[in-house]
Amino acid sequence: MRTVLKTAAGLALALALGAPAIAQDTLTIGIMVPTTGSEATYGQDMANAVNLAIGEINAAGGVLGKQLTSTIGDDGCDAQLAVNAASKLAASGVVGVVGGYCSGATIPTLKIYGDANIPLIIPAANSTKLIPENPGNAFMINSTGNDQVKKAIEYFNAKGVKSIAIINQGDAYSQDLADLSKKEWEAAGNTVTNFEVTNKGEQDYSAVVTSITSANPDAVFWTAYYADGGLLIRQLRERGYAGLIAVGDGSNSPELFKIAGPAAEGVIAFSNPTAEFLPEAKAFAEAYQAQFGAAPGPYSTLSYDAMKLLAWGINTAGTTDAAKVIETLQGANFTETISGPISFTPEKTLARSNFVVLEGKGGAWTLAQF
Amino acid sequence: MTIFDIFTNQLLNGIVLGSFYALVALGYTMVFGVVKLLNFAHGELYMVGGFAGFLVLSFLAPFIGAGWFGVAVSMVFAMIAIGFLGVVIERVAYAPMLSAPRLSILITALAVSLVLQNGMLALTKGQYVPFGSALGFGGINLGKLFISYNQMILVSVAALLMLALEMFVSRTQYGRAMRAVAVDKDMSRLMGINVNAVIAVTFFLGSALAAAAGTMAGAFYGSLWYFMGFLIGLKAFTAAVIGGIGSIPGAMLGGLILGLLESFATQLDLRGMGIPFKVGSEWKDVFSFSVLILILVFKPTGLLGKSEQERM
Repeated sequence: MRTVLKTAAGLALALALGAPAIAQDTLTIGIMVPTTGSEATYGQDMANAVNLAIGEINAAGGVLGKQLTSTIGDDGCDAQLAVNAASKLAASGVVGVVGGYCSGATIPTLKIYGDANIPLIIPAANSTKLIPENPGNAFMINSTGNDQVKKAIEYFNAKGVKSIAIINQGDAYSQDLADLSKKEWEAAGNTVTNFEVTNKGEQDYSAVVTSITSANPDAVFWTAYYADGGLLIRQLRERGYAGLIAVGDGSNSPELFKIAGPAAEGVIAFSNPTAEFLPEAKAFAEAYQAQFGAAPGPYSTLSYDAMKLLAWGINTAGTTDAAKVIETLQGANFTETISGPISFTPEKTLARSNFVVLEGKGGAWTLAQF
Repeated sequence: MTIFDIFTNQLLNGIVLGSFYALVALGYTMVFGVVKLLNFAHGELYMVGGFAGFLVLSFLAPFIGAGWFGVAVSMVFAMIAIGFLGVVIERVAYAPMLSAPRLSILITALAVSLVLQNGMLALTKGQYVPFGSALGFGGINLGKLFISYNQMILVSVAALLMLALEMFVSRTQYGRAMRAVAVDKDMSRLMGINVNAVIAVTFFLGSALAAAAGTMAGAFYGSLWYFMGFLIGLKAFTAAVIGGIGSIPGAMLGGLILGLLESFATQLDLRGMGIPFKVGSEWKDVFSFSVLILILVFKPTGLLGKSEQERM
């Protein structure tokens, strides 16, 4: 009887000790993206790309000799949901987080990851409003709104555009981009005929369209996301607006063509480099297609690079200690990427701009020549 | 464009938008008139109605095309289907609660709204669904005012539906019974009116109108989304209150007023006339809802609302 008890106790002890020992054989990476809601397409693409990178890293021996696993926190592109997702990830012992698509949803999570001392690599969210909110643990590897505005103005100038209408949705990302565009565009001596704000989820843009067509600017610049952007483009063209229509990087989705239909022909998008336009991304796009049965989305390459960067940071630091990893990332000159080399400014934003100009042709995005 | 052209254009925009608000507002007002329930799930019926219309259209399009005829036929099917869905919701979620405290049934209505919304979220995975209709872009020009055939058809269909409803309520026996139930449910029952059947008919009609609006919106704007019923539900409810909740002509008037207010507020610029006043889309909602508060301050029962007892 006594031996039985002893064995049982020993077994219990072994189990109790064994559980954390097993857990330590793997390192968990948090993925914070919207997997529900209006931006779910992008979020799923991003999560897929991170998991693809994790698979490759594991096949090559893992990080610090340990295999990586991932856990997803759904931020729903909503500030409240994002706070819940971040708290959940922070509490589940992740060694680092890759994520942040909607700027408005990402901003309130920065403090949570900062307090929990978790390195965060942000592949997509790029509002300049993130910069002052960064407690020092977050790295933005997408070029910020400033870079996008520069590219947009460069393009408008090349096309002889003198007056533009700017439309946003009043959220952190689209408003930031709209405000910056207005400021820079007017500083360059041009006119902004309309500066409009619409409600997310509204279907009828006719009043705004009339307002724009009556001012008849050379170009319309939509700074928010594709879903409502598609509706606006459709209604602009239906009402006979013939000028240039440009959209920001939040609208660079093939879904835009589904919603806007033929009206999206010739629409210009400013975009971070996506897999199909990067020669280095061919192998990545093929692997992605093979594993998920779909083409990679617009933020897949950056998400993939973000995961590779985080793994490199931990490996190079030689520890999962957040302070050391963050220090390593700050000094990074990481070239094993598909979207170009990554190094950071003191503000922890990408040191060089990576924006390209795309044009809608026959229901797909192509690289624009100008 | 001259100020006059802008005015006529925004007038047209407001009428089109107002027609949608009015169709959805009618369901709110009818249900409130008969059972004194704020059916918060009504906006969701508009959304589900849009999806139902789309589903029918995708089946029928190979046979009858996806033009306005196809959309109209799909709309009728969607109206019937969503009408019955409305009756089922009433039987399952509202009927057992009619004698319970008001607050319980209000919460049930919110719950039904969330069930429908999140059910559709799960079914569509949150994706926008392109409404595969093939409506032309043609129209007629009246000076600087372009009216598309789509807009004309849409407003006419909405007007016809509202006229039919008005005739039904004012000229038929069921309509008279509805008005009687609205005034006094218990007395109506004593007079031999089948109150439960009247309530079912009310839900059927209200839901069918929401489905008509949803299908037309899907075809007109070109896409569907699980969340599309939320904002319009809120605005149609507002429209119903402005017109005087419980009053059918009031809901039509309220919808039209709200649509017009929103359109004009998007481009209200009196600076050209020497008055330093400009609204613009940023202040659109602030302006239009401030006007609505003013209307209610001066006419608390709504524009066409009467005293408590005289509903419908």
